[in-house]
Amino acid sequence: MVRARGLVVLILAAFVAFGCSGTSSSGTNKGTITIGVSLPLTGAEASVGTPTKNGVLFYISQHPTIDGFTLKVVSKDYAVNGSPDASKGAATMQEFIADATVLGVVGTFDSGVARAEIPLANQAGLSMVSPANTNPCLTKTVYIPGSLRSNGQDVTCKAAGLPAPADLRKTNPDKNNYFRLATTDDLQGPANSLYAFNTLKLTKVAVISNNSVYGKGIADTFTAEFVKLGGTVVKRQDYDPANTNDFKAFLTSAKALGAQAIYYGGLSADKGCVIRQQMIGIFPTGEATPFLGGDGIAQDPTCTRTAGQNAVGIFATVASVNPDQVPAASTTIAAFKAAYPTKSDYGSYTMVAYDCAGVIVAAIDRAIKANNGNMPTRDAVRAEIAKTSGYAGVTGTVGFNAAGDNSAEIVSLYEDKSTDPNADWAYIKAYDFNGADKLG
Amino acid sequence: MPAHLATLTRVRSTLSGPVGSWMLAALAGLIIVVALGPRVASQGPSFFLQIMTYGFTDGAIYALVAIGYTMVYGIIELINFAHGDVFTLGAAVSIPIFGAFGLAEGNALGLLSVLALVAAFAITMVLVGVLNVAIERIAYRPLRNAPRLAPLITAVGVSFMLEGIMALWIGNSTVHYPDLLPGTRYSLGGGASLGFKDIFVVVVAVILVAALTAFIGRTKLGTAMRATAQDKEAAQLMGIDINRTIAATFFIGAALAGAGGIVFGLYYNSINFQLGFSAGLFAFTAAVFGGIGNIQGAALGGLIIGLVRAFSDGYLRSEWTDVLIFAILILVLVFRPTGLLGMRVPEK
Repeated sequence: MVRARGLVVLILAAFVAFGCSGTSSSGTNKGTITIGVSLPLTGAEASVGTPTKNGVLFYISQHPTIDGFTLKVVSKDYAVNGSPDASKGAATMQEFIADATVLGVVGTFDSGVARAEIPLANQAGLSMVSPANTNPCLTKTVYIPGSLRSNGQDVTCKAAGLPAPADLRKTNPDKNNYFRLATTDDLQGPANSLYAFNTLKLTKVAVISNNSVYGKGIADTFTAEFVKLGGTVVKRQDYDPANTNDFKAFLTSAKALGAQAIYYGGLSADKGCVIRQQMIGIFPTGEATPFLGGDGIAQDPTCTRTAGQNAVGIFATVASVNPDQVPAASTTIAAFKAAYPTKSDYGSYTMVAYDCAGVIVAAIDRAIKANNGNMPTRDAVRAEIAKTSGYAGVTGTVGFNAAGDNSAEIVSLYEDKSTDPNADWAYIKAYDFNGADKLG
Repeated sequence: MPAHLATLTRVRSTLSGPVGSWMLAALAGLIIVVALGPRVASQGPSFFLQIMTYGFTDGAIYALVAIGYTMVYGIIELINFAHGDVFTLGAAVSIPIFGAFGLAEGNALGLLSVLALVAAFAITMVLVGVLNVAIERIAYRPLRNAPRLAPLITAVGVSFMLEGIMALWIGNSTVHYPDLLPGTRYSLGGGASLGFKDIFVVVVAVILVAALTAFIGRTKLGTAMRATAQDKEAAQLMGIDINRTIAATFFIGAALAGAGGIVFGLYYNSINFQLGFSAGLFAFTAAVFGGIGNIQGAALGGLIIGLVRAFSDGYLRSEWTDVLIFAILILVLVFRPTGLLGMRVPEK
């Protein structure tokens, strides 16, 4: 162990020495600092993972050096056979940990993979900043707070079948190493309640979920806030996605009870948008009968394709900001699109990942300065990231609380306006739960 | 025999006779009326009618899958776990076939496209039929005289292989199935309506079941099948080619499942690679329900499961659906172990 560490120091020293002698023209080069990227880069999620990675690459291309160190990006894919894989995520995290130049990792995209990576990173004191994880239990002990439910009782992470944040940070419980820019799923339901009640003027809604922790969770929070606002949930059902193909009996019953819209908690993979398709013939189609849901269906071409002729009028939330709507981001987005002209290189999380990289690099900068211009320790970087407050990112101001959550709590709402699966969903509006839309 | 056991046996033998069927039906009817009566009354007759149409349609699809299970079990006493996946395969295979015939969404259903649809049905049925015969030849026939567990496990294996291949082929999420049938709905009065698709599903199922019944009862091959099911060796002594007869059974069973897959796709307009797992499970339940080995029984069992499903979803909560289906199944089997219409498996 000691010998291994000695070896690392030796290699580093050699690196520094080589770097100094090698670059004579551009000042002193003290070595390389690596930013890791842990994302799904192949298979089903590659279409969102790759644009997210590009955000990090673009930030580093704009900021190639810091305080005499060269910045480098190393991306590792955690998909196996086309699907995100938690154990592959853990393996790639081990590789990042083994590389002493890695001082921070941007990732993950999938909360399930984050759950496997956080304990390892915590042990090594390596920081992770996620652009997209929205599962509350990565940072909070409560999956759904009682204040968002009709019976007022908390659903703890344990009750939801998920490890609590402390269980993920067992080695260094007092040194949180996980941070995120996205907000949490428990706010998706309320955002849709606000839109349904205040904007769409709906008073009667039927709620259905895929009976998963996520689906039930957002369905519960939607229900609680909708009822609090004065609406009625006329029917509630949690179906078994494996055995259910026919939702028409439920829909007919909801219609008979006066439902003006359906709220769906779940994924499009669990036949969520099949429900929308089966509404044809029972409810008026299109925007006349809205279909509401969360990021399990939002902006998903599969959902549009499955919903068929009834795709228009699906309103779904994403627990994250839409950078295209942030005026301050426009210059950076334009610069990005000039550097990456292919349309599929840019996605919803590109600019968020850009800010994740920015937060890490800013912290590294402070840590280097505090260490008299020398390579900082991972723990020093971690401590600096934790202190992040008022960082002016392109997607908004970033600041972390003690748990690692961003102080900005933005949920964006999108509408499917076309039956064409390749058409972008229209951005409707954002709810700021730490500002104008703070829940009472 | 102790007195209470004797009583029980007597009760059971009474219940498994024709009087028993009526008593059982009356009991089930009573339970349903007491449990659902107030709800049904409060929702009105048109709602009841509407839910019933869903039940018939769903049940007709289960029936098409259940028949394949029942035929295979009847002839070689194998629970062909891969059968549900053959059903999914039928749906998956038909998508490119529709494409090849120029059947696309939005086109009006003229005479030419009706013919193309019939041809697509036929080709899909033949394709999955041939595949099922190949499965039988490779995975089941060599094990025909092996212990019962061996072919059961190869069947489970084939099922997983088919699911894996389909996941690679059509992907692991929901796949849109072309919506070729008109969405026309006919009013049944009081807000209830019947879709063209509902009628289509039931009509296709009835035609196929009727054709199969005639085939089994009237043709030479059908007779050979019945003979093989009753006594393989005796049938062989009478000059029946057992291998060919069993292969034909697999072919027909798969063809019906393949047709079921197309009907499912055309009705629900979305499929996924794992569809066959639960569809197969419920279809097998339907086959046991109606009396395994009995084709009319399988059709009846499928219909009942479809109806229970629809009524439970409509009047109760969908969480109750599977509880109800299996509660009814247990009740039926405890009193009538041979299923509703009786088993047609050779006595040995």
